[in-house]
Amino acid sequence: MQYIILSILFPIVAGLYLLIRKESENRKTLLLCTGTFLIISAVLVIMALCLAGGGMFTLFNLTDKLPIIFKIDEVSVLFSVMTIIIFLCAGFFSFEYMKHEEKEKRYYGFYLIVLGVLIALCFAGNLITFYLFFEMLTLSSMPLVLHNGSREAIMAGLKYLFYSLCGAYMALFGLYFVERYGNTLTFSAGGVISEQAASAHGGILLLVAFLMLLGFGVKAGMFPMHAWLPAAHPVAPAPASAVLSAVIVKAGVLAIIRVVYYIFGSSFLKGTWVQTTWMILILLTIFMGSMLAYREPVMKKRLAYSTVSQLSYILFGLAVMDAGSVTGGLLHVLCHGFIKAALFLCAGAIIYMTGKTRVEEFRGIGKEMPLLLWCYTIVSLGLIGIPPTGGFVSKWYLAQGALSSGIPVFDWLGPVILLVSALLTAGYLLPVTIKGFFPGADYDYNSLRKKEPSALMTIPVLILTILSVAIGLFPGAVVQYLSQMIEKII
Amino acid sequence: MIMIVILLPILAGILVPLIPFKKRSHMEIFLEALVVLNSLLVWYMLLHRAESIFTLANFTGNLSISFKVDGMSMVFAGLVSALWPFATLYAFEYMTKEEHERVFFMFYTMTYGVTLGISLAANLLTMYFFYELLTLVTVPLVMHTLTREAILASRKYLYYSLGGAAFAFIGLIFVIIYGSTTNFVLGGVLDVEKIGGRTNILLLIYVIAFMGFGVKAAICPFNSWLPDAGVAPTPVTALLHAVAVVKSGAFAIIRLTYYSFGTDFLKGTWAQNVVMAITMFTIVYGCSRAVKETHLKRRLAYSTISNLSYILFGVTIMTPLGLIGALSHLVFHAVMKISSFFCAGAIMHQTDRHYVHELDGLGYKMPCVFGIFTVSAFALMGVPGLSGFVSKWNLAFAAVESGNMLAYGGIGCLLISALLTAIYMLTIVVRAFFPGKDFDAGTLKGITDPNWKMLLPLFVFTLFIVLFGLHSAPIIKFFGDVAAGIY
Repeated sequence: MQYIILSILFPIVAGLYLLIRKESENRKTLLLCTGTFLIISAVLVIMALCLAGGGMFTLFNLTDKLPIIFKIDEVSVLFSVMTIIIFLCAGFFSFEYMKHEEKEKRYYGFYLIVLGVLIALCFAGNLITFYLFFEMLTLSSMPLVLHNGSREAIMAGLKYLFYSLCGAYMALFGLYFVERYGNTLTFSAGGVISEQAASAHGGILLLVAFLMLLGFGVKAGMFPMHAWLPAAHPVAPAPASAVLSAVIVKAGVLAIIRVVYYIFGSSFLKGTWVQTTWMILILLTIFMGSMLAYREPVMKKRLAYSTVSQLSYILFGLAVMDAGSVTGGLLHVLCHGFIKAALFLCAGAIIYMTGKTRVEEFRGIGKEMPLLLWCYTIVSLGLIGIPPTGGFVSKWYLAQGALSSGIPVFDWLGPVILLVSALLTAGYLLPVTIKGFFPGADYDYNSLRKKEPSALMTIPVLILTILSVAIGLFPGAVVQYLSQMIEKII
Repeated sequence: MIMIVILLPILAGILVPLIPFKKRSHMEIFLEALVVLNSLLVWYMLLHRAESIFTLANFTGNLSISFKVDGMSMVFAGLVSALWPFATLYAFEYMTKEEHERVFFMFYTMTYGVTLGISLAANLLTMYFFYELLTLVTVPLVMHTLTREAILASRKYLYYSLGGAAFAFIGLIFVIIYGSTTNFVLGGVLDVEKIGGRTNILLLIYVIAFMGFGVKAAICPFNSWLPDAGVAPTPVTALLHAVAVVKSGAFAIIRLTYYSFGTDFLKGTWAQNVVMAITMFTIVYGCSRAVKETHLKRRLAYSTISNLSYILFGVTIMTPLGLIGALSHLVFHAVMKISSFFCAGAIMHQTDRHYVHELDGLGYKMPCVFGIFTVSAFALMGVPGLSGFVSKWNLAFAAVESGNMLAYGGIGCLLISALLTAIYMLTIVVRAFFPGKDFDAGTLKGITDPNWKMLLPLFVFTLFIVLFGLHSAPIIKFFGDVAAGIY
């Protein structure tokens, strides 16, 4: 259990240390510090996963009824492994990228704090612990959004803050009622609402369940509270966008998994108006996100809209509440995490090397940096869902789950929208590849200069690409691991 | 003993302009020593309290001026006496830039005694007497600067407060007539036989008295005196208009509701719904006005308006749990708000900046002050781990437990207000720490954190914000005992 505490506290304390220490002249010492801290954090997390066991561990009591509890279960493992991999990749990527930004110390400080808070979210054992770190996540990740200090960035940061807090308070509203009518706040597979409470106070409990979904859905960019995401993600420095889009939004997904399967329980929500309304919102989000991404000319914004749509794929899997679809959703958590991080890092590398931000300027970019664009193309195919990449497997499970769920209308409507959205995904991601590799006959090859970024940038992208393909090639192990857990919660 | 703690500050206050102090520091030592001594006496008295009622004077019949230490007085007197020495220390530093210090400290110290009088009063009449007195001794503090604005504000304050007290007086008379005694008894003193069929009239009177005392607690629509009174020097705004005066209003309403009319009589009636609706409206109204306001102190004053109604919302739930919520917010809000007001005062003292848009980039020049301001902002928002979360949790818990649909709506109001709180507090924090790219740090040359007299109170308050947030079980248990009538 000391490993859990260490793995949470170490990055937070290290981040605070970076924030308060004097601005050093030597950039190398700062990077060395940050790099060491990142690696130690990763090691600590892995030690916690291996050694802490499945026991529950109470840190202290906030009031007499609100204990701060940590516990590691399968969901924690899944999310924390993804978090730590992406943070390492994006962290090393930023060593190169942040050269052209100011106030690096502040950036790395908050970067580490966010890492610690995310790990705490993964390991949180009850709703109140989760809520505590959920708020901290919002507050500590805001400085990453407004890092560059332009007016646009500050406004986006505030927008992010207020949307997230609004969501958190909606969730808090539900939390009060769960406290009252549930048996406990501790996450327990299958839910904590007793049958007695469900029958006596069903109406109000469904209402607060819906509010909690909506509230935590804000972080996951769910319609109608998605507007912060396309504003906040693109203005951050690219590696920060990568972790924002790939990991931090997943905190919303994690929250929803916890609320649906560990607090209310799928049997309580299945077939209610909550499930129906929620699915409508999700399908709207999927379609709308893809459409907006398709129309968006600025690369990073386009990727942010894509996140809006892809996150709702995951939510769709969770909302169907069928074993297959949940497997698909959780797989997509991993795939989308790796893919979106890689995409944002690619976009960042392009900005860093060429200064180009709009898709129509990307002509011939594949000739300048072929390796990077190959990676980009491979992960794009993954997001579209072309075998043998990870995205294909997760979407397969999603569609299969939806079709076998037997929910009227949605069992066919869901897969149809997934397909339409996949088409749109191809439409907004592949033009970059096409423009990049096939600049056209009138392209001036004489002025072409190789601009492949340095190893510090390409290797993280490469790792993420390989991982996203690996999931597609060998999904068996992950699926088997997940299936044990899913049996318990469905 | 009770008389000593009430009279000592009043006498000391009167003495301040009379004693010919050679140096300013002598007066400081004299005052600080007396205030600390008095606070120690208060705490000693609270911990070794006598059960009996101490009667000073007896008027006709059952009217008397008498004092008693019960659970509620322990909470309020304990709070006030804990905050006062720190506020005095802070005031010494702050007042170096203002004139007529002697007069200021005279009334400032007298207020201490009067506030203790309110908290230790054993019956409605005594409380009413000190309540009026409180208005009178604080008026000179509001008009301290003697600008036209200050005089208008103090006039407004006077009229509002006296008007409110007049309405409260009506309530007093009815309790005397229809109650078995005027002493405070948990559960109420109304005599069912005497009331007979006049329940509705009494409910109406309750609402009127609630509104009357509510003037000091700044409920809507009687709130406009509070932001205007912000023209007073900051120690006054911080201690009196965030704690002593306004909380006296809330305290009086608790006495009225739980100790005079009684919750059994009021619960489930239209009167409860009316007053609860008023508090819910005020919660949202205060916050929205705070978001619009650009003057720092006025913004905090609007925030006070909304937070006071949190307390009253807890009161109007009319269950022991509601009282626990109300008491915990009464104490925790006092610490959070005094901390944020002192930060505002420190900013004004060091930089002469009064408006929110003038605060760009100050976070790096005054890291302590703005760090503490950030903590108090988070606490006011209700971030878990800080005291604001605990009190909101208790309020919401009481509301859910009560099963009253209107109270469910009240939780919604609390959360809307929390979001608005985040907006009006964090915009300041973001401005201070993230001034933006084209900000010229040269304009802030020479600005530093204030000296220890200002910082020490701030650090102590922050410590308590965190302490109550992380380990609130003992104090909440104490509130529970108070609400259950054990003390």
